[in-house]
Amino acid sequence: MLDAVVDVFQIVFFPGVLFIMSYALYCNWISRKFAARLQNRIGPLHTGWHGILQPLADFIKLLAKEDITPAAANSTVFSLTPVVVFALPLAALFLIPIQSVSNLWSYSPVASFEGDLVILLLLLTLMILSIFLGGWSSANRFGAVGAERAALMMLAYEIPLTLVAVGPAILAGSLSISNIVGWQVASFTNFLKAPGLLGLALALVLLVGVGIYVVCLLAELELRPFDIPEAETEIVHGWQVEYSGKKLALLTLGHDIKMVLAAALLTSLFLGGPAGPWPIPPIVWFVIKTTFCVFGLSNLSVLFARFRIDQLLSWAWKYLVPISVLQIMAVVMLSGVM
Amino acid sequence: MSEREFIVPVGPQHPALKEPANFMFKVDGEVVVDVEPRVGYNHRGIEKAMEARTYLQNLYIVERVCGICSNAHQTCYTQCVEEVLGMEIPERAKYLRVFMQELERIHSHLLWLGVAAHEIGFDTLFYYIWRDREVVMDLLESVSGNRVNYAMPTIGGVRRDLEEANFPNYHKMLDTLKERTEYYIGVCSSEKTILERAIGVGYLSKEDAIRLSAVGPNARCSGVSCDTRHDLPYLVYDEIPWNVIVETNGDVLGQVLVRVKETLESVKICKYVLDNLPQGPIKEKYSPLGKVPEGEAVSIVEAQRGELIHYLQSRGDNKPYRYKIRAPTLGNIPSLVERLKGGYIADIPIVLAGIDPCFSCTDRMAFVDEGKDRRWEMTEEELRRYGIRWYEK
Repeated sequence: MLDAVVDVFQIVFFPGVLFIMSYALYCNWISRKFAARLQNRIGPLHTGWHGILQPLADFIKLLAKEDITPAAANSTVFSLTPVVVFALPLAALFLIPIQSVSNLWSYSPVASFEGDLVILLLLLTLMILSIFLGGWSSANRFGAVGAERAALMMLAYEIPLTLVAVGPAILAGSLSISNIVGWQVASFTNFLKAPGLLGLALALVLLVGVGIYVVCLLAELELRPFDIPEAETEIVHGWQVEYSGKKLALLTLGHDIKMVLAAALLTSLFLGGPAGPWPIPPIVWFVIKTTFCVFGLSNLSVLFARFRIDQLLSWAWKYLVPISVLQIMAVVMLSGVM
Repeated sequence: MSEREFIVPVGPQHPALKEPANFMFKVDGEVVVDVEPRVGYNHRGIEKAMEARTYLQNLYIVERVCGICSNAHQTCYTQCVEEVLGMEIPERAKYLRVFMQELERIHSHLLWLGVAAHEIGFDTLFYYIWRDREVVMDLLESVSGNRVNYAMPTIGGVRRDLEEANFPNYHKMLDTLKERTEYYIGVCSSEKTILERAIGVGYLSKEDAIRLSAVGPNARCSGVSCDTRHDLPYLVYDEIPWNVIVETNGDVLGQVLVRVKETLESVKICKYVLDNLPQGPIKEKYSPLGKVPEGEAVSIVEAQRGELIHYLQSRGDNKPYRYKIRAPTLGNIPSLVERLKGGYIADIPIVLAGIDPCFSCTDRMAFVDEGKDRRWEMTEEELRRYGIRWYEK
């Protein structure tokens, strides 16, 4: 009985739906505020402390707005897309170890099994497909162009994204994210005890992996310079153009949750997950590390002009894919030596 | 039309267009095959309104033809009226008009540069440039009292004088602008993601630029040396040392470089004016209801966007009999179409913005039947009936 109560608590409140949603709104605020300061602006200011409640206010405002479905749209797919876009990253986050409810000092995901990394990567791919369906079903020309661009962009970054994520799994000898985190903690402690050249080489190879991963995540999140499918000045928010009201609110929240997912993935695959060298509860480590990742992502997104879709594809296949293949080869060789 | 081609409408409302205009793009995947421009959504009947008002009242109307080149329109208008009046304005007033015109050019070019950065998705650069543009806005406000419609030129001279005491401050502000503009030249010609989006995009050859009568920076970036300030000097542009900026790239990068370098030239001109401002009165006398003798005049001014032409016909009244304005954007639309063909959808905004379009200034109305080669006009009443019939169908 108690187990069931704990499970429900985990899914609904912490670290489940409610926590993730509020954390997503917080990440939205962080990235907006940080990008604004970099661009010499002030950012949200009036709602709450330094505008911290602004994302929530935006969400509530959108909920109250008129919800229009175009007459020509395929209304089933059109209405389903926001739900899917919202639910997929949420489900993916259940697989990420954050904090155990029963023990303050240990971490565990809501759901964990051997092979959950594969499910997570599958969910990441499904997100792009849902975006494509949403844009296509809206029966808008800008929506169609945006959907087409989203699908094309997937060809550019999906392969490196998956390849690089497999690296830590090979090293840990497991396809479970919790085990990968466990391996990172163990090898990091070993490295501190007995630093060696091999460990340093491994760290360097994984650093290249982090670089590739960040680029792919920027594309996955449709942040600049990869905001090609929504490109406001070109195709008027692309695949989202026909969405309004509640559906748009869900889409925005879904995007924020995706941001949390991206930061959480970076954290769990490369930065040691919710564990750290000092005894602080895992949830605090998780917040510190993901906030740091959000900073990094929003910092990168203000530095560049938007790529054109053809430039992105040729650039990705010329550089990104070969480098990620080389990186995974280096990882395999190192894991053989170790 | 093949199966793969479909039409993407851009405008009349579109984030890339700050003013209403419509472009029908025939696209094949991401590539633009053909473009059909359509202007006329913002016709305001300014020319007709001017015929019903006195010359002094028209000063205010003509200033509101455009928010960005308000001073250029006013300068052009006053030159027209003064020519028919046979009035020679004081030397100091000429220098002050040049000063205002060049300040306006600086503000307009910086504004354009920010918009261009926004169109290629580089918002950070956009925010930085617009922050620095505030310097010239402050300068304009300090000189004229206004940030947008300066109301400086008037028939017979200018309305406000510069104060000697402020000159060191003005010099300092112009120095800041110079320094920042030089920094942006560096950014725009070295930042890789900008170059990727600018080199070879929206190309127009020199021959096409001449054939399609491009004007202003749009022509100068394709290697055509045409600048009214140099070719048909007005005011005191022949006394001031400055250079016509010509680039040979013909693409968006050329447009950026022409405009930032022109900004530097304008700063130079402004500093020269401050150093060499002749003493004397700033205005000739002109009575508010003064009649203008019979005659006609054409005045040409180099506005920020290119050659601006005003035509005045007077029948000895205190109101113009006919007034005609040709804004530079109209001259640039044929070459814009040429620039857009063969490009990508992603490049449409930056190429559209590249000519610095201002559709409100451009819009006009005429009824043309191409098939029957016929032109006609309608009275207001006829137009109203036509509209009712159209919607009854």
